[in-house]
Amino acid sequence: MKQDNLSAEMTSGGFFSDFCRAVTKGDLFVKLSMLWMGAGYARRKQYIKAALMTLFEIAVIVFTVQFAMEYVPKFGGLGSVMPEKTFNIETMKNEFNDYDNSFQILLFSLFSFVVWITAAAVWMYNMVSVYRLQLMEEAGVRIRTFKEDLISFKEEKFHITLLALPVLGVVIFTVVPILLLILVAFTNYDQNHMPPGGLFTWVGFQNFISLFGGGGLTVSFGYAFVRVLGWTLVWAFFATITTYIGGIVLSLLLNSKKTRAPRLWRTLFIATIAVPQFVSLLLVRNFFANGGIVNTICANIGLTDFLRNIGLVSTSYIPFLSAPGWAHVMIILINIWIGVPYQMLIATGVLMNLPTEQLESARVDGANKFQIFQKITMPYMLFVTGPALVTDFVKNINNFNVIYLLTENVYTTTNQVMANSQAKEVDLLVTWLFRLTQDYYNYKMASAIGIIVFIICAVFTLIAFNRMIKGDKEGTYQ
Amino acid sequence: MKKMKDSRTSTIVLHNVLIAVLAVIWLVPIVWLLCTSFSAYSGMNTSTFFPEQWSAINYVKLFQPDSVSQFPRWFLNTFVIACFTCVISTMFVLMVAYATSMMRFPSRKPLMNIAVILNLFPGMLAMIAMYFTLKTFNLTNSYAGLIMVYSASSGLGYLIAKGFFDTVPRALCESARIDGCSEARIFFQMVLPLSQPIIVYTVISSFLVPWMDFVYAKMILNAGISSQYTVAVGLYQMLDRSLINNYFTQFCAGGVLVSIPISILFVIMQKFYVEGVTGGAVKG
Amino acid sequence: MKFKKIPAAALAVVTAAGLAACGGSSSGADDAVGIRVWGAEDDQALLSELIAGFEAQYPDVDFDIQLGVESESTAKDTILTDVEAAADVFAFASDQIYDLVNAGALADLQNYEEAFERYPGKTLDEIEAANSESSVAAATVNDTFYAFPMAGDNSYFLYYDSSVISEEDAGSWDTILEAAQTAGKKAGMVFSSGWYNAAFFYGAGFMTDLNPDGTTAMDWNGTSPEGYTGVQVVQSMLDIAGHPAFMSIADGDTANQIASGNLCAIVSGSWDAQAAQTAFGDGYAAARLPDFTIDGTSVPMKSAFGYKFIGVNEYSENIGWAVLLAEYLTNEESQIRRFEARQIGPTNLRAVATDEVQANYAIAAVIAQSEYSVIQKAGGKYWDPVQSFGEIIAQGALDRNDPAAIQTSLDALVEGVTAAIE
Repeated sequence: MKQDNLSAEMTSGGFFSDFCRAVTKGDLFVKLSMLWMGAGYARRKQYIKAALMTLFEIAVIVFTVQFAMEYVPKFGGLGSVMPEKTFNIETMKNEFNDYDNSFQILLFSLFSFVVWITAAAVWMYNMVSVYRLQLMEEAGVRIRTFKEDLISFKEEKFHITLLALPVLGVVIFTVVPILLLILVAFTNYDQNHMPPGGLFTWVGFQNFISLFGGGGLTVSFGYAFVRVLGWTLVWAFFATITTYIGGIVLSLLLNSKKTRAPRLWRTLFIATIAVPQFVSLLLVRNFFANGGIVNTICANIGLTDFLRNIGLVSTSYIPFLSAPGWAHVMIILINIWIGVPYQMLIATGVLMNLPTEQLESARVDGANKFQIFQKITMPYMLFVTGPALVTDFVKNINNFNVIYLLTENVYTTTNQVMANSQAKEVDLLVTWLFRLTQDYYNYKMASAIGIIVFIICAVFTLIAFNRMIKGDKEGTYQ
Repeated sequence: MKKMKDSRTSTIVLHNVLIAVLAVIWLVPIVWLLCTSFSAYSGMNTSTFFPEQWSAINYVKLFQPDSVSQFPRWFLNTFVIACFTCVISTMFVLMVAYATSMMRFPSRKPLMNIAVILNLFPGMLAMIAMYFTLKTFNLTNSYAGLIMVYSASSGLGYLIAKGFFDTVPRALCESARIDGCSEARIFFQMVLPLSQPIIVYTVISSFLVPWMDFVYAKMILNAGISSQYTVAVGLYQMLDRSLINNYFTQFCAGGVLVSIPISILFVIMQKFYVEGVTGGAVKG
Repeated sequence: MKFKKIPAAALAVVTAAGLAACGGSSSGADDAVGIRVWGAEDDQALLSELIAGFEAQYPDVDFDIQLGVESESTAKDTILTDVEAAADVFAFASDQIYDLVNAGALADLQNYEEAFERYPGKTLDEIEAANSESSVAAATVNDTFYAFPMAGDNSYFLYYDSSVISEEDAGSWDTILEAAQTAGKKAGMVFSSGWYNAAFFYGAGFMTDLNPDGTTAMDWNGTSPEGYTGVQVVQSMLDIAGHPAFMSIADGDTANQIASGNLCAIVSGSWDAQAAQTAFGDGYAAARLPDFTIDGTSVPMKSAFGYKFIGVNEYSENIGWAVLLAEYLTNEESQIRRFEARQIGPTNLRAVATDEVQANYAIAAVIAQSEYSVIQKAGGKYWDPVQSFGEIIAQGALDRNDPAAIQTSLDALVEGVTAAIE
């Protein structure tokens, strides 16, 4: 009971106010914990914890002195020493001076910041828990032994044990790279400023100004950006809707009572997703190539000439994947081919749970199939998979595979302004970004574009989720 | 009555014909893949749909390693990587899903929101940063690095598993808690055994990741030693401009061989996924 | 209390790794000299032999040379992604040299004169003089020699089927297209690549050049020193592209199109020699590029020279030995061995003079073409706009009778190519 009161006192008002309270109202040893993190524990006889915290403190200090100090001071200018070398004929090796590598400075400084922020959080939490110990002692509550603390990690603190490793993995492999790339967007890291042979430095918002049509040739970056963004949104919308509806329709078809051998059909459709995308998409790309099979067949049956005569085609082949309008439509169609079986699986699963009484009563009331679909099936599907629809939309904005594999090396833009910024009319923002990094090493523009992509996706997700999910629906199923 | 039966039969026939037509359209490229893999000519055939000469030689060549094609080795590499990836990924996903679904703690909502936000970042962007992060720890060009890349952030994909855990009745856990079970025991000995469908689904979907990805594998395994490649990278390299004429049909054969285990896994996964999503197994 | 144990573990890991990374970059004195070599897929067997020969030359040095695979056409991409992790010695195509030098990835060979003197006993001048002048010129950027020439036949020329097109007819586009049309076949060329389509402009006297700051200089929208305007060249190209017997081929698709049997003439290089031989059979023949017509005058095309080089990574650990190995892999004997094994045309003057080399059709075409070749110097901003421009011409999107529109297009092209790197 007393513990509950303590908890109430501690958690009301949030983490920072707890910290302030600890600092102001703590006794001597609590205040001492600001300098020596183990002090508070030592006073309350939790010696093991005191030792652990002291070790932690020492580790942070060692880290700072030995590692962080080498890089963080250079963070402001991102290095100034260019590599110089002298050749030593005796060892047959080059002896380099101690040169700066801008990217390393950026990366390691970021590491240091992350470590420092974590250490700061630990320090503040340490203060809070030491203060809590003091309160417990004053209130006469029994203080746990170390062993009991450990056991709590299997009990009420089990979530910490569970989340520790995954969160660590995410921080190192997702958060740090993203932060790093955000930082790169404010530098001039590109082909002319490539470590280790070159240095790059901060340029502030210059890249964003270029992107939105600042000065110089960068008119073309802004031009390309608007068009690529437009197509990205159009593509994401159509790709999501067509595969979603297609999946539902196919699922209804296959699960209808009229179907013979539904399992067989279902397996056949699944075969298309089982082939890895990079195999199937490359195959389809070759299928529809300018000199490919489909073109040969079309030429043989006279379709190409027919289209030429009515003016839709200006070359001797049908440019399925190499002319702007055609390629756009073909990509969406091919994406239907790829995506519908998968959506069909999901739709099958969801539709199985459709309350059959509703369907029955509707049929009894004389509703035809179309009305049933419109008034009962679709609303139910939307209700269950609505959030998934939004996530799919966002995923399609970043759907790299389909566009890259279908148009790389096949599609050449005839829009000269687009070509000047290495963009194509069929590019999504991510494929443009990928080309900028892989082929042109224009990391700074790629990062700037990446940030914009992220902001767009975030805005969409927030709006969509806020409108769709009112309240916490989790409770309704538990 | 006869008229209705006739019209019913005809609609049934039409219905099935429609499905058959759709299936044929869907399978055309796959059929082409199969046919080309049995072609005697080693490059890409652009003039006829079916190969002019049939031969199973590509499959034979696949199992005779030369400097370009080392399919058995790649298969083994990818299999090993996939096993480790699926173990780690499954652990992470289940841990995060269980923690966010069954337990309540102050930072739960913020964590979930952050996960949503992190998922919005285009993965391609972080590639170069991830590469240099790995380089710092000397993990480039190693399977350990690749496994980490595939599985470390898998915790972010916890939503489906969480949806499943949400349907586990709380009453069950409450009574166990009253009986004195620790949370850990509830997780390991009660909830997990009930969650077979979702476990199988998670295992299979994470197992499939290394087979399909070539972008990350290509970036990390950059020492140029082709015996270290995964299947995806190896097959992709076969399409290089200078090699495609000699290796295209082998590429097709490799694609077919890779698809067989994947499709089996997909079929199994579909069964469990459906069970998992409907959550019907745990009621009552 | 929540975060206590996790950051401790993370810190330990980070600290250890950080100390390891910044403290121990090179481990003391390695007894074995480790060198990593990258070569093309097809070269692997040959390279292993040559490397064994190199090791045999210096028996008292303990080498540890590892051979890896990297296609010559994508070498630049892999290397520039991470220069320090790239191989020490690598083969690459000559058009990549500017990007590699820009990024500081290639070692300046002048620094290693001492090593050349001490070991193989040659001077750099001797090495340079042993190879053809233009190959050395192509390997020199800003007056610095950066890579050893390895193969001299990475250029393009004309393959044709002599049973359809006579040798005389093969001298000009007009006659080729006529003969092809009569035979019901096609003549093909890659227009949508700045490597190929520049041949028209170079032939008319235009130029591209690389400025020291990495930007490209280009004068295609004006008048060439020989008096032709860019518009005239484009009009000739449009005439060729619009001819019913012409097939515009996508970059990289040449082998495929040759194999399909629809072509009787194609502009390609020695990498397609095999395919052309199979397709044209007894009629297999090669010649220098055909002339094209501007207002009735026959203008020869000037191809962009292509070589293959072997370069040394600036950040190699054992750079001295790496340079020596690179030199060995491209000396006279190695080039002759390479020709014998894979029919690759050498750049070494003495190797070129041997009878076997002289008897090879494709190489003979290259040699004939070399009199009508220029070294293509262009910066990073050159490729995409020119590719686009070539595609526009190939698709016939410009009207040959509308010089104003053509001029606008050329102006846009030059603006894009000469832009500052951003």
